[in-house]
Amino acid sequence: MDEWIMKAQKGDHSAFALLFKENYPFVVKYLLKITMNPDTAEELAQETMAKCVQKIQLYNGKSKFSTWLISIATNIYIDQCRKKKREKIWQYHEEIARKLKWHFESRNEDWNDALAALAKLSEEVRIAIILKHYYGYSYEEIAEWMKISTGTVKSRVHNGLIAVRKELKLNEEAESQYANRTTK
Amino acid sequence: MKKQKVNMQTEQQNDEDFLVIHELQRGLDQIETFQIQTPDLQWFEQIILTEQHRIKKKLMKEVFLFSVIALLILGGIMMSLYQMPIVFIILQISTTIFIALYIGVKHSKKVIEHER
Repeated sequence: MDEWIMKAQKGDHSAFALLFKENYPFVVKYLLKITMNPDTAEELAQETMAKCVQKIQLYNGKSKFSTWLISIATNIYIDQCRKKKREKIWQYHEEIARKLKWHFESRNEDWNDALAALAKLSEEVRIAIILKHYYGYSYEEIAEWMKISTGTVKSRVHNGLIAVRKELKLNEEAESQYANRTTK
Repeated sequence: MKKQKVNMQTEQQNDEDFLVIHELQRGLDQIETFQIQTPDLQWFEQIILTEQHRIKKKLMKEVFLFSVIALLILGGIMMSLYQMPIVFIILQISTTIFIALYIGVKHSKKVIEHER
């Protein structure tokens, strides 16, 4: 892998292609988790690769190559969200996640309540929670990638967890009420 | 007594957080099982070549623009030196003052940030 990176930094496009092919599923799956939309995830993965070609000289090997890709992908997605908000193209979070839900159901898999709750959160909060509690990155790393303070990341993660907890409790209550009604 | 109650509340909250995080991880693990179709090597190579070509084109454009602007500025300065020496002197003095002020303000900002 290191050899490929060095070759890619020298402009070898074959080494670049091998690097991207190796990391493609990892990046797409990460983007799928934060965007909750398969089409957007693939589109952003392509943009991430293009950005990576531009910035490869800046990669210093301090972190894993995949971590570096995640930081680029996060930045691109946050920028895209800001642009969309500016253009006032509002889409409901639930609507965005509908396609992912459909993918789950078409494979006869349950659409997890936690995923539904996660889809209802704003992008900024969702990204912070996923990076912290799924990928295990530090608050400092997340703050650097999202260009915000460590305190803001902590409060976003904290508030996000509270929101998910509330949502899960609401779902549980609704399910138990439904079960009670049907048994009566 | 009050302290004990607060401790119990935070413990309960931590347990609840742990459960929520566990649920989230379980949900996200399901996404991890998704089959992602990785395109073939040629597709990646094509994207890279296109991007490298775009970067090269952009660089050439920027170098050209930079050279034209530099030539224009230099031409203007040379012309003012021979045709209107007073304008040349005023320009030189004002540029020196501007650079000194800019560096001074930037340095003082850095010092304030460090003190914080």
